[in-house]
Amino acid sequence: MIRSDNGYFGEFGGRFVPEILLPALTQLEDMFFALRDDPDFWQEYVTLCQEFSGRPTPLTPLRRLSKQLGGAQIWLKREDLNHSGAHKVNNVLGQGLLVQRMGKQRVIAETGAGQHGLASAIMAARLGLDCTIYMGAEDIERQYSNVFWMRQLGSKVQPVSTGAQTLKEALDEALRDWAASVETTHYVLGTACGPAPFPEMVSWFQGVISKEIREQAMRQIGRLPDEIVACVGGGSNAMGAFGDFLDDPEVALVGVEAGGISFEDGQHSVRLSHDTGETGIAQGYKTLFLQNDDGQLGDTHSIAAGLDYVGVSPILAYLSQQGRIIPESATDDEVTEAFSLLMKTEGIIPALESSHGLAGGFKRAREMSPDQHVVINLSGRGDKDIFNIARAFPQKEWTEFLQREAARSTELLAQKRGH
Amino acid sequence: MFPAQHENLQIMSHAVVGFPSLEENEKAIAGLAEAGVRLIELQVPFSDPVADGHTLVNACYEALKHGGSVRATLDLAQKVCARHPEVTFVLMSYLNPLYRYGLEELFEKAAAVGIKGMIIPDWPVEEIEPWLPKLDALGLAPILMVTPNTAPERVEKIAHASRGMIYVVSRLGVTGHETQWGEKFRKYIAEIRKHTDLPLAVGFGVRTADDLNALTGKAEVAAFCSQYIEWQRDEGSEVAAEKMKKVISEIDTATT
Repeated sequence: MIRSDNGYFGEFGGRFVPEILLPALTQLEDMFFALRDDPDFWQEYVTLCQEFSGRPTPLTPLRRLSKQLGGAQIWLKREDLNHSGAHKVNNVLGQGLLVQRMGKQRVIAETGAGQHGLASAIMAARLGLDCTIYMGAEDIERQYSNVFWMRQLGSKVQPVSTGAQTLKEALDEALRDWAASVETTHYVLGTACGPAPFPEMVSWFQGVISKEIREQAMRQIGRLPDEIVACVGGGSNAMGAFGDFLDDPEVALVGVEAGGISFEDGQHSVRLSHDTGETGIAQGYKTLFLQNDDGQLGDTHSIAAGLDYVGVSPILAYLSQQGRIIPESATDDEVTEAFSLLMKTEGIIPALESSHGLAGGFKRAREMSPDQHVVINLSGRGDKDIFNIARAFPQKEWTEFLQREAARSTELLAQKRGH
Repeated sequence: MFPAQHENLQIMSHAVVGFPSLEENEKAIAGLAEAGVRLIELQVPFSDPVADGHTLVNACYEALKHGGSVRATLDLAQKVCARHPEVTFVLMSYLNPLYRYGLEELFEKAAAVGIKGMIIPDWPVEEIEPWLPKLDALGLAPILMVTPNTAPERVEKIAHASRGMIYVVSRLGVTGHETQWGEKFRKYIAEIRKHTDLPLAVGFGVRTADDLNALTGKAEVAAFCSQYIEWQRDEGSEVAAEKMKKVISEIDTATT
């Protein structure tokens, strides 16, 4: 797995935080650097992932869909089958082991789609920790089922109503909380972004995905795949899927960003593939950000809350600059189409975030030959997107059901108040 | 100029450039100067101000809607530095707007318009050190922050790279909330003084005349910012300046 040069990957990365956060970050870095060279720690982590989250996740061949598209053989790395329904839990379980070693009793997290928040709430419940999740008010509306479960699990979900009310603002607010609580609280950052050592550490924990892909490909395909495709928001599932293959030049690595509605400002979240991102320093690190000429971070859009983010992992920015990863993008419409295609052809319900990987992967597979193999990282399952999908594919029955359910829910609440 | 060590406590106040509007900034600064404030931070508004509490976060968002930017800050600085030579103006900004403008050019222009110092909360000492010869040549003082959890060897490093003053963050957290000024705080200040002869500017949680009186004899400067911006937001710049004058008169009485 890639290692930084003093927190930097080429010109990207670093640790640009208010002084108050520095001791916690250096403590975390010292602990992480010691543990990553300890094989027993990796074994402890993998065992925890197996016992609690069902790893290793399968590598599933899409026989019917591959045949239908007529190109390369497509395989899905099934991160959707993790406990909590997404790859996010890998990193969270890893950081949970660090929290136990640090002896901190409280954790905080930012979340976009709610998958990282849900995974953090699960970890906090399991370890008996106090947990606050920061989530943009807009994302709460888009991902209410995850909010519901986080609260049921005992976490506090704190809506963030500043700015565009999405992941960027949630991350700012988590940093503000941490500045006040750093002595007793660990910030479980959910993606391969933020100040060092987070990009490197999150990628290291998520690297379990690519280690499994390697073994499974050798066993099931008999060789390494020609391409690995993953969606890119902050970049944790992509770094997870790519990490172990960086030194295998025969394996192409493709990151698919959220093309949103168009390439107009504020209508997409593309930072790598179209020269839309510019080098900047914010939220604790240096990377390609969507920003204006004055250095103000821009507004983003994606149908998938988890990809609706203004920055990108400094490691991916570096690898993209080096030409090691191929950046692509998929529009909201291409994504819902890929979502539907996978569901109807293979019986798998993908998350909208992961459906970006599908859209990009299907497009590329079509152009390849049947003796080639593409692995797409299916980073999460789509149950959480029931409301978004219902909106993308409107059905009279669904609307009527919601009206009946709203009436029942209102009545129950009134009865409860009446007692 | 920056105060000398052990000089009587004075107030540093604040303008968020573009809040409530660029025209109002000029009036507000004139009001502060008239009230007796001799140190004023000009804050470049930023979309993601992670070290600030809600008062300044919201002021930043408003300011961005009303034309606040790096360029607007330099323009404003040019005017107010010339108009109020008795006041020392300090540029306060998060790093990205300055980085995007071009750090070298920004430093040169800031010095040329009369800015004397800079407070950049997300610019760590390691990144500042290579710029020191340039900043010293320009007479532009990097005012670095020390926090209650900064280790002594790091305080030493920060003191070594700071010029003009050291910004002492009074407590954990972001700007705009209350702070306690007890024995623990006194020890914290004494520890920092071991590493520097620079005057100390204490910020985060300075909201009342009582806070100022608690700081008298402990620090040379008190950053009175969020409370002032709240006055400005709720009652306008004129009333805010009157309130500032009253607060300053209260410390004067208390210390003499």
